[in-house]
Amino acid sequence: MKFLSDKHLIKQLANLLFVIFFLRILVGAPVLAQIPQKPTPPKFVNDFTNTLSVSQQTTLEKKLVNYNDSTSTQILVVLISNLNGQNPSDFAFALGDAWGVGQKEKDNGLIILVKPKTNSSKGEAVIATGYGMETSIPDALAKRIVEDEMIPAFKNNDYYKGINNAIDAVINLASGNYKADQTEAETSPFLFLISVFAILFVIFIISASKNSDDINGNGGSGGKKNHNISSFLTGLWLGSLGSRSGSGSWGVFSGNSSGGDFGGFGGGSFGGGGASGSW
Amino acid sequence: MKKTFIIVAIIIVVLFGIYTFFKSSYNSMVKLDENVSEKWAQVENVYQRRADLIPNLVATVKGFAEQEREVLVGITEARAKASSMNINAENMTDANFKAFQEAQDQLTGALSRLMVTVERYPELKSDKNFQELQAQLEGTENRIAVERRNFNTATKEYNQTIRQFPKNILASWFGFEIKPYFEAVAGSDVAPKVAF
Repeated sequence: MKFLSDKHLIKQLANLLFVIFFLRILVGAPVLAQIPQKPTPPKFVNDFTNTLSVSQQTTLEKKLVNYNDSTSTQILVVLISNLNGQNPSDFAFALGDAWGVGQKEKDNGLIILVKPKTNSSKGEAVIATGYGMETSIPDALAKRIVEDEMIPAFKNNDYYKGINNAIDAVINLASGNYKADQTEAETSPFLFLISVFAILFVIFIISASKNSDDINGNGGSGGKKNHNISSFLTGLWLGSLGSRSGSGSWGVFSGNSSGGDFGGFGGGSFGGGGASGSW
Repeated sequence: MKKTFIIVAIIIVVLFGIYTFFKSSYNSMVKLDENVSEKWAQVENVYQRRADLIPNLVATVKGFAEQEREVLVGITEARAKASSMNINAENMTDANFKAFQEAQDQLTGALSRLMVTVERYPELKSDKNFQELQAQLEGTENRIAVERRNFNTATKEYNQTIRQFPKNILASWFGFEIKPYFEAVAGSDVAPKVAF
């Protein structure tokens, strides 16, 4: 009887633990707002509303990619049709943190968020500045850009003009504050040594397998296996080489495609700077 | 002879294991603790930023709306109270943290009352100086929300670590204590509605 009740107790305990475990998952789940997925390849101009034409998007994208190349400052443009009842500024900060707009040490990201006006809801415009942009674009100036450059154009339904003006104003204010790093010089000697060793290792394996082929003569599965391993290793090495050069942080310029022309977002963060307005 | 050697070796390995565990746990707790302090400094910064804005704001509003004395006095008093309350990340207790949050939330409330009052003064609303102060205040409230959230995240990470077995034993030995969070009081995490 005692044994039975013990067993019962253990079972109850297990159930309790189970419930606690799931509660913790529920509670621990980040209260993150519904942030749209980061596009792959990353783009600076993200129109989730189809307000801008393709050529307008391309023009803006090119401008922002160029600006990123020369200054490392990342300006993100987002048009979204529904904020799901969130405060537009909070949405912009959360998006900036989640996507990591701006460089990590400089936090020089900026977000221009627009929720176009619809029949049932008013339009919202936000300029959110990363920590590093707060000095060059203080809140009062951000407010002025929103009120003077963006909203008047938006009221005329000219979203392209409003966004383009805002970008120009931001670039104008931020000019000269940041410069792009020369990333080419950053190969560490350690990496270089590892590559040299890897090359030597591969050569060694290949020659060893050749030798064993020679020794074995027409020799069976042993030599063949060795050879497979060596070609596998060579492939692995070539593969890693390829992926390394592909993920370099200097964006590979690929002409006039509308995205993926820069090395990706840098992991900058946002501290609540900026301004917003509605119409 | 051989037996003693094995025993000594085992003892050394076990001691080393214990040492490594202590070291890594202690250091990780210190790191998380530092992180909370850093985030707390940011929270204080943004609250200070707001406190610095207020004299200017009050002076500007006074120029246009002298008769709103009650609201303005309310703000000045709430500011004085909030500024007098300084707590250190090291000696945070539930009580003094609560007092701090209450004082700051009162100031938030007083400011949002001011912003409602301002609606009745069109000249004030169109004053360039006031508009700029409004934009700064709005940005500061946003910053407060962000830094409070960051502080809560850091504190949560810290608290979770020091409460988990077996680190909780070490934490109590070394005096790592659970730190309080900001709670969302109705309206406190929402920037005062600033309408133009």
